[in-house]
Amino acid sequence: MTSSVNSDILLGVKARGSLVRDLIGIAVIVVAAVIGYLLFPDNLALLTRILAIALLVLALDLVTGYCGVATLGHAALFGAGAYAAGILSAHYGINDPFLMTLAGLVGGAASGLLCGAIMLRAHGLPQLVLSIALIHLFHELANKMSSWTGGSDGLAGIAPDPVFGMFEFDLYGQTAYVFGVALLLIVFLSLRILVRSPFGMLSRGIRQDKLRVRAMGASPSSVLIRMYVISGAVAGLGGALNAISTQVVALDTLSFTQSAEALVMLVLGGTGSLFGALTGTLIFMLFEDYVSAANPFHWLTMVGALLIAVVLFAPKGIYGTAADYFALRRKAKP
Amino acid sequence: MRKIILAAIAAAALSGTAYADVIKVGVVGPFSGPFALQGKNFKAGIDAYMAINGNKIGDDTVEIIYRDVPQADPAQSKALGQELVVKEKVQYLAGFYFTPDAMAVTPILKQAKVPMVIMNAATSAIMKTSPLVVRTSFTTWQTSTPIATVAFEAGVKKMISVVSDYGPGIDAENAFKAGFVKAGGEVVQSIRMPLTTNDFSPIMQRIKDSGADGVFAFLPSGPTTLGFVKAYNDNGLKAAGVKFFAPGDLTQESDLPALGDAALGIQTTFHYAVSHDSPENKAFVEAATKAIGNKAELSFPAVGAFDGMHVIYKMIEATGGKQDAEKAVDAVKGLSWTSPRGPVSIDPESRHITQNIYLREVVKADDGTYINKEIRTFEKQGDPGLAAVR
Amino acid sequence: MQTVFSIAIDALAYGMVLFVISIGLSVTMGLMRVVNLAHGAFAMIGGYIASYVARDLGLGYSVAVIAAVVLTIIIAIPIERFLYRRIYGAPELTQVLMTIGITFCVIGIANYVMGPTLKTIPLAGPLQGAANLGFRSISVHRLFAIVCGLVVALGLWFAIERTSFGVKVRASVDDAAMASALGVRTEVIYAISFAIAVGLAAFGGVVGAELLPVEPYYALRYMVTFLVVVSVGGAGSIPGALAACLLLGAIDTTGRYLMPEFGEFFFYLAVIAIICVFPRGLAGRAK
Repeated sequence: MTSSVNSDILLGVKARGSLVRDLIGIAVIVVAAVIGYLLFPDNLALLTRILAIALLVLALDLVTGYCGVATLGHAALFGAGAYAAGILSAHYGINDPFLMTLAGLVGGAASGLLCGAIMLRAHGLPQLVLSIALIHLFHELANKMSSWTGGSDGLAGIAPDPVFGMFEFDLYGQTAYVFGVALLLIVFLSLRILVRSPFGMLSRGIRQDKLRVRAMGASPSSVLIRMYVISGAVAGLGGALNAISTQVVALDTLSFTQSAEALVMLVLGGTGSLFGALTGTLIFMLFEDYVSAANPFHWLTMVGALLIAVVLFAPKGIYGTAADYFALRRKAKP
Repeated sequence: MRKIILAAIAAAALSGTAYADVIKVGVVGPFSGPFALQGKNFKAGIDAYMAINGNKIGDDTVEIIYRDVPQADPAQSKALGQELVVKEKVQYLAGFYFTPDAMAVTPILKQAKVPMVIMNAATSAIMKTSPLVVRTSFTTWQTSTPIATVAFEAGVKKMISVVSDYGPGIDAENAFKAGFVKAGGEVVQSIRMPLTTNDFSPIMQRIKDSGADGVFAFLPSGPTTLGFVKAYNDNGLKAAGVKFFAPGDLTQESDLPALGDAALGIQTTFHYAVSHDSPENKAFVEAATKAIGNKAELSFPAVGAFDGMHVIYKMIEATGGKQDAEKAVDAVKGLSWTSPRGPVSIDPESRHITQNIYLREVVKADDGTYINKEIRTFEKQGDPGLAAVR
Repeated sequence: MQTVFSIAIDALAYGMVLFVISIGLSVTMGLMRVVNLAHGAFAMIGGYIASYVARDLGLGYSVAVIAAVVLTIIIAIPIERFLYRRIYGAPELTQVLMTIGITFCVIGIANYVMGPTLKTIPLAGPLQGAANLGFRSISVHRLFAIVCGLVVALGLWFAIERTSFGVKVRASVDDAAMASALGVRTEVIYAISFAIAVGLAAFGGVVGAELLPVEPYYALRYMVTFLVVVSVGGAGSIPGALAACLLLGAIDTTGRYLMPEFGEFFFYLAVIAIICVFPRGLAGRAK
């Protein structure tokens, strides 16, 4: 984990460049969103799903990329957010999409606190296993509490109201898509500010040299726990978006598979950079959708080949390697 | 990045070319992943039907579009359902192996004006979520209720039930208990075990200690059933005379070669056995074997898919190829025909299939393969689950 | 009392089967420091080969076991040469990505070549059936697995702790540069260690097939179990892995007997508790 992408450090530390980069980032997301809308007006359900997963992968990047905590259980936070939003609507009849989103944020943050507290008890491989144990416990808990969660049949009956009383969450998914893009933009901008803040620098310091951070008088565990809570909030937002747009929540949101896929997407894009997380999600999900539609029976081999190719030819992830390449070129030409 | 967008555009352009008289049917199922075999059976059933009946209805050509949901994943299922309706413009949705996947899609049927034909998902409650759903498979209640009668008549008075801890398992437990208590027996213990259980020895010890003279078991078809049946034999339960009863999921034909002699004599109740003796089934098995490539892989989802296609063809005939979901569903209410599994009909009230449930015993056939041999028929069984669930 | 005894035997048998299947992973993860998520894929390849040899060719169980181990190693050689060699010493997450990629490919290929049905490996005559222990019966195969586990554990322990090869392995792991400066050909050592790990995976896949049947999704379905067992034991430690298997086997078996409906809870709570108490695993060495 020590050599994960530090292109942000290379390029973004200087304050004058960072604001510009924020604006560029926002512009890139908006343009990509508009292109997606125009090119695939019939595929908005998929695009909205990508947005929700992107939030999960961003959340994972906060703890894995920035703090160096390896986890195969991050979907626990995503699922907690999804169930919080879903239960609010299905059991309490509170269908306002903004309140549901808020519930997702709170649910995700709360489970982030819990997971963070446990995850900090170990490092390296045992930590990875702790995360696996946690995700299975969450999954089993949701399965057991079937009167609340619908168990393995899934939680149905989620019916979000129209946004501002005007835009319905319908079959064509325009509302959900725009809602998701707005959510992602807000989260992205907040996270850009967060990772540049002293707190963000501190957490990056923890990944690189925990001892020195402690010598500076900061407590690594409290930083990590706070980061876990923030990460939980972001993942919870993703879960809430998923619940609102698909109007159903099931155990797979809390599954090991979902967690592992998120990690794969993050590493594919490049850890330790928000753009890497977004790139990885976009490429993985589009690739998966394309090959699984082209050959629903044997597409897994293609995905496997993609992952191997990325490790062989872009060891820092797709975005990380590309960013390094351009940084080098820029250095060569003063 | 750019290449991917280009590729995606190309894909969108290719699939977007629709002809006026092509009727598209979107099939969602597990075509890869741990349940790939069941998805393969969907495709075999569909291919078999189209091989026998052709792909034309009048001037209209039927085209199938497959979409993969490897494991129960309602969000994915819903996204694919939306995509099939909005982008591919399918007139019918079909398939659905898992209940939550079907449940996720039913809310969009009305707005999409598309009927759904369920080819497997076996929870009773799905039918209540939309009037545009028709089911040609079975429910766990439907297949698990008759075995209670069989167990009681075999002289077993005290039973223990052992099921996997998820929706269908709990359905099976309730169905069996209801049936067995009604017959006059007693279920002394009900055990639910996690889906991921691999080692069943401790469960067998529990069964032994419970003092029951028979065990009712439900596990999803696939690798775990093998471990369960082997543990039943190896831990001496069979030798001790504890009788074994289950719905047919446990002895699906594609698992039988792996179970081998361990399965001999096990009695199960189910709606379809590949060995069913009728001319319709002979034709079906021949066509489906050709489609799937290996007869040993043929199993019950294929017949659900085959009959599902029959229902869809009738719907297309009734609507003349026009998109009219209500008319299509109304047209098949009360429809009856002879399926490879025997005489069946669509119950006009629940839109679920009414069919014979057979008691079968695993035996070795003359050619050395293992088959489910039908030994008793429970005629015209509806779905008792719908009444039981609220 | 009889029940307690009976549970203890089940726990022992289950734990030893877990050990046989997972120990190869302990070699790759502990000695070679590769997070090898494709361990299950190699075990599955072994299982398929054994099934083909014993069932389709009818060559008997012992031939099948040997063929599985040898052929799996042969299949693994190019994979090691072209793929694994690129990720020795790479960050863990890169290794995860690569080995998951390999696993996906193997699953896809197995599904295509062998079909999605379960494959069994017919046992040799003496291993079939059940043995009567007086108060209960247990399948002979389980007893065979226990013996296999003990033999593997002793053999590995001896190879690593008592032979010159073992010394070289430990030296290469602790400081590859220094070891090669001293004349140890680390590349060869790594290749041999990898072959041993793969061979053990294949052996475990065959011996454990009665409990974990061979099918295409095997490689992912049991990956978590392998990973948990090895990490709880402390990667690279043979006694640690053995202790972890027996302990987790006991917890799992007892939990499943007492409260089957909460079986998963018991198992994973125990894992969390053990790791909180032993953050490096039961026998983890300080880095």
